[in-house]
Amino acid sequence: MTTKLIKFPGTALGEDDFSKQKVLFNYDELKGDFAWDTGIAIGSYLAGLKAGIILGARCTTCRKIVVPPRLVCEWCYRPMEEVIPLQDTGTVNTFSLCYVTWDMQRVKEPEIPAVIEIDGASPLHGIMHMLGEVDPTKVHIGMRVKAVWRPAAERAGAITDILYFKPIEEK
Amino acid sequence: MSLMEGFPHAPGAWTGNLPVTNRYTFGLAGERFFRAIKDEGRIFGTHCPKCNHTYVPDVSFCERCLSELTDWIDVGIVGEVHTFTLLYENYDGSRRETPEIVAFIRFGDGGLVHRLGEVDPNATEIGNQVEAVFKPQSERTGSILDILYFKPLH
Repeated sequence: MTTKLIKFPGTALGEDDFSKQKVLFNYDELKGDFAWDTGIAIGSYLAGLKAGIILGARCTTCRKIVVPPRLVCEWCYRPMEEVIPLQDTGTVNTFSLCYVTWDMQRVKEPEIPAVIEIDGASPLHGIMHMLGEVDPTKVHIGMRVKAVWRPAAERAGAITDILYFKPIEEK
Repeated sequence: MSLMEGFPHAPGAWTGNLPVTNRYTFGLAGERFFRAIKDEGRIFGTHCPKCNHTYVPDVSFCERCLSELTDWIDVGIVGEVHTFTLLYENYDGSRRETPEIVAFIRFGDGGLVHRLGEVDPNATEIGNQVEAVFKPQSERTGSILDILYFKPLH
């Protein structure tokens, strides 16, 4: 029914109406503080990132290595007690050229989120991160990349301790 | 090597904040109601002649017969205590020495929830006539708190 409406009833408001106080309004901020329990596996993963190591977990039964580490194997449901350091290199599994920011601002230079299969983990196991120092037109699936780490003193135990992944120069 | 042995100092929690803000506009009738408080220090209602019902605060449509209301009336700043409660606790649960008195103050067939002030808690009774005490006009922002409290009418 609404598709037939050319002009919706009501009063449209713009930013000017608020900044020039043409309308009365209440401004409110939600107190949205949160604390998310990382758990043992992700807690170790974040501590590993702070130390400059990407950690994975290995299932001794399935011989799968997953990243980030988990406590329970997704295939056999057995505990995955073995945590192992992986390489900070990998292969682009998929990627996207993104010309809008999270708050919908258009940008000239695209951000390039990608899933990177980490070397040392089982095939097709990887993490999502950004690509950098790369020509957007040259990015391709199968491209070899290496993590660029934040300086050790500035690392906070977060996924952003890796700034981005950059291509490995082919020799 | 178990996970816990490897990294005994693994962070326990990830903290953050959700940046959620909102702006609430009062609508056509609400805008007029709060403008009147802000600019003139008056309280407005609307009257439905068909139902002989006076809405305070003002509304645009009668909720009984759904007809549009155009009969805006100044209901004055003196209302009647319809009901009240004495609050001995603050928001944070701490104890108050003197109670805050929150009342429903009747205007027309409606009314406002507000504080009572300049009043002895023991002398507060249902049926008391109370008068709105406004902030100085320069400090008013178009909020129900432009009325500081209601004080007994003597």
